[in-house]
Amino acid sequence: MAAAVAATDRGYSVTPRQRLALLGGLLPAMVLLAALTLAPALYLFVVSLTPATPTNPSSLTDFSAPAQNYLSALADERFTESLWVQLKLSASTVIAQTVLGLGVALLLDRRARLVQALRTIFLIPMVLPPIVAALIWKILYTPDVSPLHRVLAAVHLPVSSLITNPHTALWAIAFADTWEWFPFTMLIILAALQVVPREPVEAAKVDGARPLQLFWYVVLPFIRPAIVVAALFRLIDSIKAFPLIYVLTSGGPGTATQVTNYYAFTQAFNYAYWGYASAIAVMLTAGVFALSWLVSAVGTRSSAHD
Amino acid sequence: MSSVTSRNRRRVLKGAAALGAYALSASPARSAAKPFEGVELNVSCWSAPFPKLLQTYLPEFEKLTGIKVNYDTPGFLIYNQRVDLELSTRGSSYDVLNITFIYVDRWLRAGWFAPLNDFLKDPAATPKDFDIDDFLPATRKIMSDKQGNLYGIPWTCDISMAAAGRYDLVTQAGLAMPTTFDEIEKVAAATNKNGVAGFLGDNRHGWNFPPYLQGFGGNVFRKPPDDLMPMLDTREAIAAADFYCHLLRDYGPNGVLSYSYDQVTAALKQGRGNYVTEGHIFLMPAADPDSKEAKTVRYSPFPRGPAGQFPGFATHAWGIPVGAKNKRASWEFIKWAMSKEMMMRAVTEKGYSSPSRRSVVQSPEFKKRLTLNDNDVADIYLKGIETAGGSDYMAYRIVHVFPQVDTLIGQAMERIVSKQMSAADSMRQAQASAIADLKKAGVKL
Repeated sequence: MAAAVAATDRGYSVTPRQRLALLGGLLPAMVLLAALTLAPALYLFVVSLTPATPTNPSSLTDFSAPAQNYLSALADERFTESLWVQLKLSASTVIAQTVLGLGVALLLDRRARLVQALRTIFLIPMVLPPIVAALIWKILYTPDVSPLHRVLAAVHLPVSSLITNPHTALWAIAFADTWEWFPFTMLIILAALQVVPREPVEAAKVDGARPLQLFWYVVLPFIRPAIVVAALFRLIDSIKAFPLIYVLTSGGPGTATQVTNYYAFTQAFNYAYWGYASAIAVMLTAGVFALSWLVSAVGTRSSAHD
Repeated sequence: MSSVTSRNRRRVLKGAAALGAYALSASPARSAAKPFEGVELNVSCWSAPFPKLLQTYLPEFEKLTGIKVNYDTPGFLIYNQRVDLELSTRGSSYDVLNITFIYVDRWLRAGWFAPLNDFLKDPAATPKDFDIDDFLPATRKIMSDKQGNLYGIPWTCDISMAAAGRYDLVTQAGLAMPTTFDEIEKVAAATNKNGVAGFLGDNRHGWNFPPYLQGFGGNVFRKPPDDLMPMLDTREAIAAADFYCHLLRDYGPNGVLSYSYDQVTAALKQGRGNYVTEGHIFLMPAADPDSKEAKTVRYSPFPRGPAGQFPGFATHAWGIPVGAKNKRASWEFIKWAMSKEMMMRAVTEKGYSSPSRRSVVQSPEFKKRLTLNDNDVADIYLKGIETAGGSDYMAYRIVHVFPQVDTLIGQAMERIVSKQMSAADSMRQAQASAIADLKKAGVKL
């Protein structure tokens, strides 16, 4: 449909027969996509309507109280608390990664050979397997073995373990996450920077625009969609955060770093409450969709205004 | 060189003798024709010393029986999650699996493992010298149901005891190995200086805390397994939590809340920590030749609290999933792996330190192995297991909802140690969460 409309917008006329042929061509791919993505999600939703637990096979088909898991979640303080932790982690990491990614991308938007080599180096954290990145930070944050702690102790500035302190644990995770993923935002923004047309930039320079003005009024409007897309990807990924939390804090101390995703994991795999964990996962998925739509809408609108 | 060769020769001869004994004890029909020739068994257990050392002997089993064994030993958490899923489908992917201690009730209650009594009673399946009664009663009790059906053959025992890596500092302070909780406090306070942490403990609070809780007169549940009302906010529980967390917070090393058990062992070996109550397996390396505390470490039984002595005890066992296709072949593997000869070889050839057979525990070889820095750790080990077997205080740990409470205890301890909450508030929160979780699991409270 979208293709047909686009074609019409460009002045092509599409007959109903052609439209049918287009849809027919798309159908196998759409069926495959639905089977691969929607079916498991649908099953997740179905399970969330049951008190499913593996120790009781009949619980998988017990639909006597379909809303129970959702009602329980809303009354579950640990779930609502995990949402708050999630919000803090997502907001801090998305903002930090977007700002840092933008800053580094602006610095690396040069044609020099050294700068091009630096780009590759900056990508290293992102291409590491997440569990390896988590292990690196586990070492850095563990006072017994951490070179960071040893250096600080050597200069008489000993620091208590950051991951066992409830006031710093979440920010320690956010820092590690930012180190790992800011190259992603950097990469997307750098790509956008490289296709910014030179004419308006040169014209602004001729008109005497200072660098900050040049960036704010000329460059930023061009790269804003890319920033929104990068932030959106990071937002979605931040909600799926798992390896860093699993390896560094296991959600602790207490529940200080227990994000919703991790809470659902413990409910499913430590306690075997599959139905309840599925309900949390469904709500989380719905939340991600809503947030994605919101960020996308805001980004598109601001781009349209420019 | 010649002594190495002669030792290797002795090992080979011992191995051959054990295999010979096993072959002779088996039925004549099998000896003649290898009835399991061509059978494939999928065997899995979490990565622990015994299953890992057993792996090195597998070629002997395969040669003897003609059975091919596909063997894997993933990490503890991964193993349990994977097996939980597999068992819930009553699938036939695995022929022999470990029955994990904290999942005993959940997995056995759900009927996911086959009883082994028929194999044990059948002389054609089990030779007399397998001697099931040789396995320590505490281990068999855990792996049996109320009707006396046995579901797993235990391959390990883990018993809480105490170690003071810097016993020299303890004696310098005019103190001795603590026998009571009050004495732990004195020893930890006196030795917490000059880069040595007075007290060590790992982050498995669901394992480390209950011996203190019970020592103070409390329990995790009111009367497990029949009455599972959580008892985490009682006066005794709050006092125990306050005491245990005080030890960790005030005498523990920097970052103690993230300490894993290997970090505790490493801290002992590097001379960075003194007193610790832990499973024996993690304390013994302190006496290894490469340990800085090898000459100063001292061991003792788990101390007594105001209400008595309750050392933590755990065991794991080989079992046969109900979905296994060839249970007779599965039993063949278990029988081989858990024979007296194999367990003794594990001790003498691989230094195994957690045997579950009394004959092995009381053997001179094991006593020699566990005489550490002149401490008779074998005796502490056996007496601890007998203490656990003599009453039902470990019943809390194998009920099907313990994993929930285990996590909540861990979170409660972390909140107290990190000063997020007082002991009373944290334990009340744990109690409320435990009640909610148990109700969700369908437990009538």
